[in-house]
Amino acid sequence: MTKRQIGVQEIEDIALGAAVLGTGGGGDPYIGKLMATEAVRRHGPVELVTLDEVGDDEMSVAIAMMGAPTVMVEKMPGGNECVEAFNAVQSFLGRPIQYVYSIEAGGINSTIPITLAAQLHKPMIDMDGMGRAFPEIQMVTQSLFGITATPFTMADEKGNSAVLSTIDNRWMETFARNIAVNMGATAHIAAYAASGKQQKEAAVYGTLSLAEKIGRTIRESRAAHVDVIAALREVTGGFIVFHGKLVDVRRQTVAGFARGEAILEGIGEDAGSQMSIQFQNENLMASRNGEIVVSVPDLITMVEEDTGEPITTEQLRYGFRVLVLSIPSHPHWRSAKALEVVGPRYFGYDIDYVPVEQRFKA
Amino acid sequence: MWTLSIDDTESIAIGAGILGTGGGGNPYLGKIRMQRLLREGYSVNIIDLDDLADDALVAEVGGMGAPTVGVEKLPKGDESKLALEALEAYVGKQIDAIICAEIGGANSIEPLVAGAMMNKPVLDADAMGRAFPEMQMSTHFIAGVKCVPAAMVDEKGNQIIFGNMVDSYALEKFARDLCVLMGCRSTLALPVMVGEQVRRTSVRRTLSLAKQVGDAVRHARQVKSSMVDAVLNVTTGTELFSGKLIDVQRRTVAGFARGQLVAEGLNQYRGDYLHIAFQNENLVAWRGDRDTRDQVIACVPDLICMLETETGEPITTEQLRYGLRVTVLGIPCTDKLRTPEALKVVGPAAFGYPEVTFNPMPKIAGRGIE
Repeated sequence: MTKRQIGVQEIEDIALGAAVLGTGGGGDPYIGKLMATEAVRRHGPVELVTLDEVGDDEMSVAIAMMGAPTVMVEKMPGGNECVEAFNAVQSFLGRPIQYVYSIEAGGINSTIPITLAAQLHKPMIDMDGMGRAFPEIQMVTQSLFGITATPFTMADEKGNSAVLSTIDNRWMETFARNIAVNMGATAHIAAYAASGKQQKEAAVYGTLSLAEKIGRTIRESRAAHVDVIAALREVTGGFIVFHGKLVDVRRQTVAGFARGEAILEGIGEDAGSQMSIQFQNENLMASRNGEIVVSVPDLITMVEEDTGEPITTEQLRYGFRVLVLSIPSHPHWRSAKALEVVGPRYFGYDIDYVPVEQRFKA
Repeated sequence: MWTLSIDDTESIAIGAGILGTGGGGNPYLGKIRMQRLLREGYSVNIIDLDDLADDALVAEVGGMGAPTVGVEKLPKGDESKLALEALEAYVGKQIDAIICAEIGGANSIEPLVAGAMMNKPVLDADAMGRAFPEMQMSTHFIAGVKCVPAAMVDEKGNQIIFGNMVDSYALEKFARDLCVLMGCRSTLALPVMVGEQVRRTSVRRTLSLAKQVGDAVRHARQVKSSMVDAVLNVTTGTELFSGKLIDVQRRTVAGFARGQLVAEGLNQYRGDYLHIAFQNENLVAWRGDRDTRDQVIACVPDLICMLETETGEPITTEQLRYGLRVTVLGIPCTDKLRTPEALKVVGPAAFGYPEVTFNPMPKIAGRGIE
């Protein structure tokens, strides 16, 4: 495998592909894209390496933003928060950190680490901790494999900063979420520092390049005027689960999350049917005529029917004509232990997880 | 300098409980923890502010949380040590001396516990000369001392360090919410101050004062003389009221014990009623009818202290109940809380009583809280 570089075009494609993987959440990719683009223009492209190129003893840390996407679109970052958060982790660990990674390559957190990596001239690893986006801090594969989120550093645009050390990662979510809310519902974080050896076991491999590939596929299909949706389905290995028009959206920002429901009225082959998609930042459950047909941890994303543009929770509104795309989750998320963390029951739905590929044909 | 004895602890618990104006944490629990450590052979020295080197490093140590929870959810025992160690690790330096954040039942004793466990001296001083419910209400922070870095721990082993905060109001907001999530009990060590700052901005000799108040109460009990006179002789101030508690409304809200009480006057106060509003600590006292508050007779930042009439034992917020015979004292606060800057932070308006005017109780030079 050869090293690659993340430059302006790659950022463009990553942001778009990450919005597909973001399952409606993960934050507006547009803002993350602008910041990352400016950073690589100023500091040069970011080197992207694969996990096998990372030494067992070399350290990496995840960089992200935490908070409600509905606020992120309005409250801009100051610019230096990630550097502060990164330096605080390095200082706390007392050892140098060679790599930066995305903890969540779905959404804005695909590009936030690119901004920092460019600023600090550090390489990124082609990986993430989810293969999608999830709402809570402990919902990462690193945590499944015993890696601690501690030290977890947070910084906001006003100058407030904190370092957290908790007895488990679920407590980290509880405290960090509250601090993020008090920081104004958005905060920059650095966490889940781990060695190359640990990441090789725990990580979701290749998510950044997958995001880039998805984005490039959408872009090139549009330019060539070919069926974007078909190309999207093929590159993601996903399933089209519904075709419909958005007729109702209920959404509330509660305790740092955007919670709610989107209702779709069927079009074409789905005329006469209704789909409901429930979300907590990210889309969690898709029900057809009252029956659940797709659930977490599988990915559920709405894309615009002509352009294939993924639609985030905060962008939802009446009249959008969409296809609901579902992508099978990474195998790490399908173990019994993983389903306790990210399965339907954790989110309050008393149903067993059924993989999307068992219900739908490609 | 003096070395703390078991007998001293007995007196400090009473005196700090009285000066705690209803808050500061339960004095009994603080006392038995300290006395056990002393019996186990630990020791702690209490040193004067003037004995502190200009560049010595000092941190406050104290508990945070609703007192209504504190009486039920006991500490593990090493929280203040862990909080201090977290602070020291964060700044990469050792703390030379510990100071009380406030004079209050448990929070006068917790720093002594920390000092004993870590073999560090505790200063004969604090940052309020009483107890207050919120973090910005400190003579240190009012005078411009930075409130960070601040380390916060719980009994489960969770630890949060605030490296930077916009101001002490922000620290209060962040820490209070986190304290509630920790189960309404946490221990903090903050910030890292130098001797010169501490000397300039602290309230002097308040541990000694607490001890003297406690000594006076215990002596008066023994010889069966007036405990109220004994306390006021040390603290100056006046008796405001004596009677029976006939109504208590108290809720644990957002990490505080908030509410109000009504007392019916006895003896020379028969026919009168006393109303007190509190937020952990007593805030405003009014005289009036059963249902009306006619006249403010004392308010923050001056101290409104409640004792059990028979025993002189301090009564804390969580202990309030119908039928208690209480005597209420008004004690003048430190001059450091009476400046215009301080009153913005600790005057009645800051607690939600903008209509109440603070009329400072007269002080006697050289006596009481300095």
